[in-house]
Amino acid sequence: MNVFFHLGRYYLLMAKVFSKPEKTKLFFRQFFREVDNLGIGSLGIVAIISVFMGAVITLQTAYNVTNPLVPSYLFGITTRDSMILEFSSTVVGLILAGKVGSNIASEIGTMRISEQIDALEIMGINSANYLILPKITAAMFINPFLNVMSMFVGIFGGYVACVATNAVTPAAYVEGLLFQFNSFYVTYSVIKTVIFAFLITSISSYNGYFTNGGALEVGKASTKAVVYSSVLILLFNVILTQLLLS
Amino acid sequence: MIELQNVCKSFEGREVLKHISITFETGKTNLIIGLSGSGKTVLLKSIIGLHNIDSGKIFYDSREFSSMNSLQKKEIRQEMGMVFQAGALFDSLTVEQNVMFPLEMFTNFSQKERKERADFCLNRVNLSKNAYSLFPSEISGGMQKRTAIARAIVLNPKYLFCDEPNSGLDPQTSIVIDSLIYELTAEFHITTIINTHDMNSVLEIGDKILFIYKGEKSWEGSKNEILTAENSYIEEFLFASSLMKKIKNRF
Ligand SMILES: Nc1ncnc2c1ncn2[C@@H]1O[C@H](COP(=O)(O)OP(=O)(O)O)[C@@H](O)[C@H]1O
Ligand SMILES: [Mg+2]
Repeated sequence: MNVFFHLGRYYLLMAKVFSKPEKTKLFFRQFFREVDNLGIGSLGIVAIISVFMGAVITLQTAYNVTNPLVPSYLFGITTRDSMILEFSSTVVGLILAGKVGSNIASEIGTMRISEQIDALEIMGINSANYLILPKITAAMFINPFLNVMSMFVGIFGGYVACVATNAVTPAAYVEGLLFQFNSFYVTYSVIKTVIFAFLITSISSYNGYFTNGGALEVGKASTKAVVYSSVLILLFNVILTQLLLS
Repeated sequence: MIELQNVCKSFEGREVLKHISITFETGKTNLIIGLSGSGKTVLLKSIIGLHNIDSGKIFYDSREFSSMNSLQKKEIRQEMGMVFQAGALFDSLTVEQNVMFPLEMFTNFSQKERKERADFCLNRVNLSKNAYSLFPSEISGGMQKRTAIARAIVLNPKYLFCDEPNSGLDPQTSIVIDSLIYELTAEFHITTIINTHDMNSVLEIGDKILFIYKGEKSWEGSKNEILTAENSYIEEFLFASSLMKKIKNRF
């Protein structure tokens, strides 16, 4: 029954969030602040993880597939498709759920317990709309860029691994990258990223917004935000894959 | 003038406010006093509509607030200012930006006009200029309260609410903040309601006092009447400290 309570309250909150902002100018100011905070602020971690994952996928495949009948362009394909299909959307989504989710939940949760949300409400401002809408829209806007960047950086990481170790020759790797490229995979990845961005930001905002108590509860809210958004990302990953690729 | 008629509020079956009726007057500082946990904050938040009341009526200058829809409430809220217990300043904005925020939201002032109005209010609450560009976490509790007051009065409110404006302040700063609210109330003809359990405030600025005990109205009167009130709960509350007991014995 608890599930229905949360679903209902989540739905009502989203109805409050998706209404017309009081002042469009202020909305855009917040929007760009969040693009910077949630998006640009995550560039570093996404790039670092992607470059290493690209490298390691290439090396793992190279060292585990020893059958001489396997064509050498297979390694490039493997890295390309793993990065595009799963890593740059789902795994990056999970990482952002940890980074962005806890950030949002603790920020909004602290605003709740320090009565800053009450202060907005008493001024006659729709606090949910003012605080949450810029976060959701900013993440849905900027995360696809992180997603595409992650693809390139990961594939580049694989290339660097080839050059450094020669486990696969760089030429064979590049041949693999270009072999039977299906551009719909990129679309699929971007669609997933946009939906994951919505899940992460809305669920974390929900957890923060309904915090009550003190610092302890803010901590709990931010843990819940990360756990629930991660689980829902994994669930939606399966659903979307079935819908988009079957 | 704010009038309450039979206001009741409970949380999950537990009655926190029981049939409270009172009139708070314009141009006066009205105090709600009582022990911790007696329901002061709940009463104040019910008056401003952050809590929905279970029954009873609330009038703002004969406009019935309790039955308004959210759009009508929103309009009336622009006539309200509130100073929260811990200040509730937006910690991503500087002191000056905090005060300019309501102007940005609700007026079409230019940046220059907003700054002028904000600086006027900050100056009125005696905040020194070099604090304007600091963030709330970088200033003292007293300065935070002053900023919160400046933000509350920036839109020229008709109604001002303060939840324990003195909590966490030293006695000297408390008196300064009290007299500031008192002056502003008279100067701008505001209906001010203050929650407090500070005896100094009660005796200094209590134009009208509502004493609540366990969610019930136990007494109402003014600072001139309270010391001689014949109400055992008030006596307990007022003369809790031995200093106050000594003072009483001198009367
Ligand atoms: N949101 C709430 N949910 C349930 N109970 C509450 C809530 N807010 C306050 N209470 C209860 O109402 C009573 C009065 O609290 P409060 O008005 O904060 O007291 P105070 O006079 O110290 O301001 C307390 O017993 C408190 O536990
Ligand atoms: Mg209180």
